[in-house]
This record gives sequence, C-alpha cells and structure tokens, in this order.
Amino acid sequence: MKRSLALLLVCLTLSGGTAWGSGSGDAATPLDEIRQVIRERALHPPAESVLQGLTVGNLEQDLQALDPHARYFPAGAWRSPMLGRDAWVGIGADLVFEDGKVILLPYQGGTAALAGIEEGTQLLQVGNASVVGLSPQELLSVLRGTEGSRVALTLLPGGLNAEPVMQVITRQRFRPLDVELLGPPGQRILKVRDFVGGLTRPALLATLEFVLASPRPSGDGDMPLILDLRDSGGGDLFEALDMAALFLPAGAVLGSVQGADGHPAIFHAPPGRKVDIPMVLWVGPDTASAAEVFAGALQHHGRAKVVGRPTFGKCSSQTDVSLSDGSVLRLTNRMVLLPGGERCTAAGIQPDVAVSAAMLRDPLRLLGVSRALLHGRPEAIPAVEREPQIPDESR
Amino acid sequence: MKACRLMAIALPMVLLAGCATSTDPREGGLLGGIQGLGSGAYDSRVQEREARLEALRRTQRELEGEQGDLEARKAEQTRQVAAERTRLDRLNADVAALDREMASLSAQHGRGDQRVRELQTRLTDLKQQMGQQQSALDALEGSGLGDSDTDLRRRQLEQQRQALQKEYELLMQLSLELAR
Repeated sequence: MKRSLALLLVCLTLSGGTAWGSGSGDAATPLDEIRQVIRERALHPPAESVLQGLTVGNLEQDLQALDPHARYFPAGAWRSPMLGRDAWVGIGADLVFEDGKVILLPYQGGTAALAGIEEGTQLLQVGNASVVGLSPQELLSVLRGTEGSRVALTLLPGGLNAEPVMQVITRQRFRPLDVELLGPPGQRILKVRDFVGGLTRPALLATLEFVLASPRPSGDGDMPLILDLRDSGGGDLFEALDMAALFLPAGAVLGSVQGADGHPAIFHAPPGRKVDIPMVLWVGPDTASAAEVFAGALQHHGRAKVVGRPTFGKCSSQTDVSLSDGSVLRLTNRMVLLPGGERCTAAGIQPDVAVSAAMLRDPLRLLGVSRALLHGRPEAIPAVEREPQIPDESR
Repeated sequence: MKACRLMAIALPMVLLAGCATSTDPREGGLLGGIQGLGSGAYDSRVQEREARLEALRRTQRELEGEQGDLEARKAEQTRQVAAERTRLDRLNADVAALDREMASLSAQHGRGDQRVRELQTRLTDLKQQMGQQQSALDALEGSGLGDSDTDLRRRQLEQQRQALQKEYELLMQLSLELAR
C-alpha cells in the first residue's frame, strides 16, 4: 500500500482508463455533493468550515488532508474494484523500489518468469541506461513497448556472490493468474497479490484443488500450505473475510467494522466449504488492508502461523460513492477491527516469526522456516536478532 | 643366410601379432575373432547389444507415451475449455436478460430507488466481470493448451464463473422480489 506507486506494473495496459484518475476535477466538479457525502458517510466527518474550504482546483490535496485514502475520480476515470487486472503488454513483473534499488517480482507464467528471472532480482539497467534515480513513471516509460518488441535488461540476481547479467526480454501481452502457484510442481506456495471481490476466493479454491491433486515430490510429506501475502496491497474487505472463513469453523468471528456511529458490525464464518491443511502466511511491510485483515483473523484463531515482517498497518475500509455527474468519490467510512476487537491501523500484524529484510525476499529460506515452525523445530528457526549480520546490500 | 632365416620366423610373428587377440568379435582380427566365437564372448556381446537396443526402444516408447499423454491432456483441456465457453455464453445470455429486466424495474420504481441502484451497481460489476472472463478464456484458447499453467488458469476461470453464476442467481432472486 505505501509503495502502491512503486508497485506500478512494468507495463500497465496502455489504455487510458486506470483506477487512478489523474485529474482532480474541473469547473463541473459537484463540490456540494462531495461535501454532503463526506458529511454523511465519512468515518470522521470534519468540521463544516473544513468542508467549505474544499476547492475544485486543489480537490485532490484537500481530500487527502481530510482522509489519506480519499480520492476523486472524474467521470470515466473510475474502475470498479470488483474487477481483476486486465491483460497488459510488458515483461510480466511488478517493480518494487526498496532502499534505492529496483527489485523485480515476476508473475507466474509471465515473460520474465519464463526467462528464468527470479523474485528478488535487482534491475540495474534498461538498455544502456541505469535505473538509479529514475522515478516509477520514468522507469515505466523506458520499459514500455509494443507487443513483441525486445528490451535488454541488466540484472543482478539474488545471492551473495552474484554477478550482473544481461538478458533480452520480449514484451508480451499477459494477464496474471488471480492466485499464483510458486515454486516447482508439488509445492504448496500460493501467492495472492490482490483481494478482488468475487474472484480471488474461487481462484484460491481452484488453486488449492489443483495443488492437492498434484503429486508431491518424495520427501515433501511435511509440506505445509503457504499463502504468500508479502506483496498483497489489499482489495475487497468482504473477499478477505470470505477467504478467511474458508479456513475457520462456522461461527468463528472473522472481524468487525465500525462506522462513525461507533457500533461494530461483527462478521462470523458461515458454514460451508472448509480447508483444514496446516498453514503458514508470509507477510511483510507491503502487506496491507484486506490482506492484513485476512492474516489477522487467521492468526487470532491460531489457524495459521505468520512469518515475515510487520505489516503496513491499514485497517480501515473505503467506499466508492457515485456522484450525479458520473464521477466517483472514494472515502474512508469504516474502521476494521480484528476478531479480538484490536485495531491494526498503524501497528500492523506482528509475525509469529520475524525475519530480516533480506530473508523476506528469499522464498527458499522462508520455506525452511515455515516447515520448521509447523513441525516444532525451533532450532531451525533463525533468531531475527542474528539476521542483521547478513547485510541487505549483499543482494 | 642366418639373417634371412631370422626374418622368415619374425615376419609371420609380426603378422600374427597384428591380429592381436580380443574377446570382442568386432575387434581382434582373425585369431581373436575365432577365439571370441569359441569362448561365448560373441553371444554375450550380442546379448549386450540386444539389451541396449531394448533400452532404446523402451525410451522411445516412453517418449511416445509422454507425447501421447500430452496430446491427450491437450485434447482434454480443449474439450474442457470449449465446455466452459458454452457455460459462459449461457450465463452471458442470462445476464443480458437480467439487464433488460433491470431496465424495466428501474422504470417501474424510479432510478432513485435505493434497491434498484444497489442491484444496478452489482449488475454492472457482474457484466464487467463477465467481460473479463470472456477475454481471459479467449487468451487461454490462444495460448496453446497442454501445460500445467494453462490447466491451473482454466480451473481458476471455471471456479470464478461458478461464483459469478451464484451472484447472477442472487441478483435474479433480488430482482424478482423487487418485481413483486
């Protein structure tokens, strides 16, 4: 979430309408209607004088001063959060800006992954130009290209003694899976990057069925189910609750929401399909919002162990309100509480086993910790205090 | 004279040495070959060759089997994708009918009606999700079927279509209640 800009897709669809409308309004912006919506529906309605101070010319900034998650989408710029990602032309990887480095996170089945580029690989150059100092938008513009065109990337793979390598990648049209399956066949590492209303839960179920039907490699009898939420910036709250309900018994409290009136609405797991495989969740500082609610619910009930680093800490929900001119106002309308009534805003979810930043980008080591954790082998779990001895720069 | 006699003895020995012995009938020259045949080494070489040939045939059969499996898997996936497309088309037609029904409800109750607005919002989402399903299925067909990635993709699409079907049924139910 905090790196949502940084997590720009390498090549977003070149079509115009993205979720993030760029304009902040024009003379026709229905200011009075916006004021009314905020007055009636905001989690913390501001004083009337503040509302009257909203201006068309500075609407985006004014709104964010009221509510950091508020957005105004001019007519035609809004995209339903119920939609999954569209296909785009690119190298099939997300970019993460981390400590001045650009890290690639390839998608399963994308061009980068098929070329053997692994998670955590650092991008050094595009063509002959260094990526140091480029903004996400600038980097995006140099990585963009037409379908079938090629781009030369200089990469630094993960690992202590890695040397830079040059790789030529062909840009292709690609739509990511809604739930990805990491690692070789038989592994049970499922990556969820978004919680899309009505789509992610069925995708998770289908992936689970697929995994459970696949033969496991010999010696992997103790393979837990791992849900990788390290790069999940959130999404639809109810999808996250529905997904948590898959792993919890009927009646278990999933969490609650609290509006401006202060009365919580508590959600319980419905009966129905349940999955009872031992589970580990991987989380990190980019795990936010719906993903934190999901992780918090399972951790509260002891249903999953959480491995990684503290999460972002955004447990509030937003609503999108359509205005009369076709524009849309997004604003925070509810606080989300974990099953025990705790808030996770600012605090985030604390992992049961904390790892170093370097280890967070090393799936093999995370896998080792996850297995040790589930099978009660604490000696195999590294103490995070010892971890800083492995400098992050080594990557 | 003495030198000539020595040469006469040495020459046949050199020639015979040229036919150095080996138990391999493919090598060994005249004496070796004769010795190989007589000692049974020839039979063991034949058996060894047959065993090697059999191993090659086995590998060939395995490769053919894998190819056959791949073809069968591809055919099965093609069949399943075609079936999925039929189900999605049917759902699309149902959603289009619901859309028409919603327009009539909207006229009856007025666009300002909260329930109508709620239904319309959800129907709009459903239609857009259906559109995404359609294009995802098109992409799947175009990607060449047969591998496990496309199989996983197809399974996800199928489960998602089932979820959309449930959403459609719920919206249908709500619209019927509204029509009463």
